[in-house]
Parts: sequence; structure tokens; C-alpha cells
Amino acid sequence: MTTALLRYQAALLVRSQRWLPPLILYVAALGIGVQGGQPVLDSLGWTAAALLPVTAWLVRVCATNEPAAARGCAGAAAGPGRAHLASLLVALGAAVLLGAAAVGVVLAVSEPAGTDRRTPVPVGPASGAGLSAVLACALVGAAVGALTTWPVLRSRGRAVPALLLGALLALVTTGSPARAAVDALVRGSQEGTVPAPLLPLAPAALFMAAATALSCALTTRRSS
Amino acid sequence: MGSGVRSGTRIRLDGVGRRYGLRGRWVLRGVDLDVAPGALVRVEGANGTGKSTLLRLLAGLDAPTEGRIVGRPRTAYVPERFPAALPFTASGYLTHLGAVHGLTRAAAARAADEWLERLGAAGHARTPLSELSKGGSQKVAVAQALLAAPELLVLDEAWTGLDAASREELERAVAERTADGAAAVFVDHDPRRLAGMTDATYTVADGALTRRTAAEPAWPDGPRVAVEARGPAGARPPAEAVRLSVSVAERADGAFRLDVTGPRSDAVLRALLGARPPWHVVSVRPREEGRR
Repeated sequence: MTTALLRYQAALLVRSQRWLPPLILYVAALGIGVQGGQPVLDSLGWTAAALLPVTAWLVRVCATNEPAAARGCAGAAAGPGRAHLASLLVALGAAVLLGAAAVGVVLAVSEPAGTDRRTPVPVGPASGAGLSAVLACALVGAAVGALTTWPVLRSRGRAVPALLLGALLALVTTGSPARAAVDALVRGSQEGTVPAPLLPLAPAALFMAAATALSCALTTRRSS
Repeated sequence: MGSGVRSGTRIRLDGVGRRYGLRGRWVLRGVDLDVAPGALVRVEGANGTGKSTLLRLLAGLDAPTEGRIVGRPRTAYVPERFPAALPFTASGYLTHLGAVHGLTRAAAARAADEWLERLGAAGHARTPLSELSKGGSQKVAVAQALLAAPELLVLDEAWTGLDAASREELERAVAERTADGAAAVFVDHDPRRLAGMTDATYTVADGALTRRTAAEPAWPDGPRVAVEARGPAGARPPAEAVRLSVSVAERADGAFRLDVTGPRSDAVLRALLGARPPWHVVSVRPREEGRR
């Protein structure tokens, strides 16, 4: 039944075409921040950071894709919490795929060297570092998205500014796992070493899990 | 997943109250309601009294603010209006929902076509939901609820927007589900809706639920059907058919005559023909309407 829910939510996302604006935002952000021949770790840091608001937006798209009546039909069949969980997971999955593709592009076009352009940076470990930073940012972005959309925030007028502010804070606040992951890449580029930013993944996953639990629990407690 | 749900889970509301927001007014309070498998329950009340909230609680879409809900049958819900702003065709959406209800994709696709056909919307199977009329969308909402033979059917003005033929078909489908052991709870503005079949009628007023006690004929006016059937020598009609009938009389020649309300006639015939050994149906005739 969970597979069916994931398929349903994924089909909703793909067919709705509401994925297009966040995708364009991401491509534009990469176009600005990533240029061919630049140090690879710097570009990967930018790739991961830009994914955070994009993920939050994708979560908003998925969580609000169904009109309330359709949400009721699927919710009665599978449980409203599970139906909502499926929409969050589909958004996160889409964001991770997007981020992984971006990491591939960045690896292909960037200079495998540190900021000083002399210290070589091996591509294999760099791709691992990039993917784990992308994952950390996607998890934090999904948590921000879940906390700033239905059912936590229902009015659009409050939800959208909250999403933007939340994404910004998640990127700049000291102690945020997303910032830690991005910082590790930038520092690695300056020092000419490839970091293994696996450490931020645990708090990022924890944050996402807590935000998801709260959001799913609220599905039956708020009016639609 | 078969359609047999005779041992279906029951659902019980124990002192359930619901309000929105921490300081909101109580929409419902102190609601006790026990819906047994096979029960057909009607809920009445003026607009804005909390009927829809009660149905959302039964469907599991709302959690009680106080009190508790015990039991969770496999549930399907038909909302009052189904705005079909979804990027699917009718059969595409129904196949997804059938799978969410627990069917395999192949079975879901088959059931989707079957139910669209029954509701007279087979021609719209490949139509995008966004191009369907209001009635067409409502048929899709009804079909998604019926296609996996749920144990609890929650209908919030499900008949609104349907044409006459599909209104009747939905009544028949509800009769079939309840004859099959599933429970159904419905709200409808038409007092004749499923008249003669409802096991209980409740009224929501001032946030409270009361069972209507006004003397109500158990089998009020409505189209009736007389079924004559003959079984093995000396046998009584199958218990299922007797339960669904208004009256059962043995005739001098050993055949039985069962008086049945219109919506239940198909279910009674199924019970007779599906019995082991099967009964022979001698005749099925509409009876003129009238009081007993």
C-alpha cells in the first residue's frame, strides 16, 4: 500500500508540472554559481546550498498537489498521515535525484583542484563529499518545507515567507547541518583536502524525521 | 482481496469531541456511536451542525480532540464535492486509488473500468479529470470509494451532482456493500435516500448526536419487489435473503414469497441463487407502492 501511495504521489508530481518552477530556480542558481574550470569543491558547495530552498519548494508542491477533497479520498484509504508522508518522501526523492544529477554535471565541468588551483583534488572522494552534502541539504530543505506548508502552516500568505526565511536561516545559522556540510566543502577547497561531510547527515536526518513526524501528526488535527 | 467482509471490524466512537484550534468552539461533543458491520446509518442535521465533521471522524480524516475512536475498518470516503483538479484521466486516477486501497494494479485497473461502466461513465475512462463535468467528477469520486469493496463506506452527500441513473446505481451499490457485511454511514439532503434500508438515523444538533427515536416505519414507502423462489423440499430461504427482506411468506405450494425494497432486490436474488444448493427464482415482480 505504501508503494501505491508513493507511485500516486510521484505521478501527481510529474504530471502536475509544478516541479518546473523549482527546477528552473535550481538551474538558474547553478548557472550563476557554477562555471566551467572553477575549483570543484567550491562548486559542489554551491550545488548543495542551492538545493536546500529548491527542496523546500518541492515539498510545498507535493504537499499541496491534491485539492482537499482528493486528499480526503486517499487519506481515508491509507490514513492521512501516511498519505502525507508519501508526498514528503516523493519530494525528498525528487530533490536528491536533482542534486545527484547536478553533482555529476559539476564534476564534469569543474577543475579538480583546490582554491589555489594547484593542489589536486581527486574526483572520486570529491563526488562522495558532494553527494553527502547534497543529501544533508536536501534533508534540511525537506524539513523546512514540511514545517512551512500544510498542515503546519495553512495560509499561503504566511507559508511562503516562512519557507523563504526558514531556508535562509538553515543555510546561515551556525550549527545547522546544511551549513556545516557546505562549510566543510568550502574549507576543503581552501585547504586542498577532500572532506568527508558525513557528520552533518545524522542531525539533518534527525531534523527531517522530527519535522515529518510533527507534520504527519497534524494532518488529522487541523482543518483542511 | 475478496468482497467478503462478514467479519468486518466495527468502529466505535466513545465520548468523541472535536474542535478546531485550542480555543475554538466545540463542533461536536460527547458523541457515542457504534457502527456494526453491515449497518446502514443515516446522519441528519441542519447545515453547519457538524455532520461533515462527524463523517470525517468516521473516515479517519479528523482525529478526535477528546474521547476516542476504537476500530478501523478498511475505509473509503466520498467527499461532498470532488473538484477534479488532478492531472490524471478518470481511469488513471482510479487505478492509482484502487492500488492505494490495497488492490494490485491489474485488479485496480479492472475495477476502475467496471465501476465507470456501472455508473454510466465508461466513455469518460480516458478523459482527463479536468475536462469532466461536475457529475462526471462525482462519479469518479464514487467509483474510487467502491472499487476496492471497503468495510466502511462514508458518504458525504455523495449523491449530489449525480444523474438519476447513477444515483440509483449508487443506492444499489450501497445496498450490496451492506448486504455483504460492510457498514455505510451517509449524509444526504433527500429524505427518501435509501429509505427503508437504514438501520438507524442520527441527528446532529448543537454539537450533539442523538438517535432519532420518532416512530419510523422500519420499511417505509418506496418501490418494492416481490420475489418468488423455490428451494429444496422443506428448506427455509437462506438466512441472508431473509435478513434483507421486508417479509417472507411460505405459500401453500411450498414456494416462498419475499417482499424486498427495490435497492436490496439484487442482493436478495444473489443470496438465493448463490445458496448451496441454489434456490430457483420463480418470478420477480414490482409491487405497487403503498403502506403495509
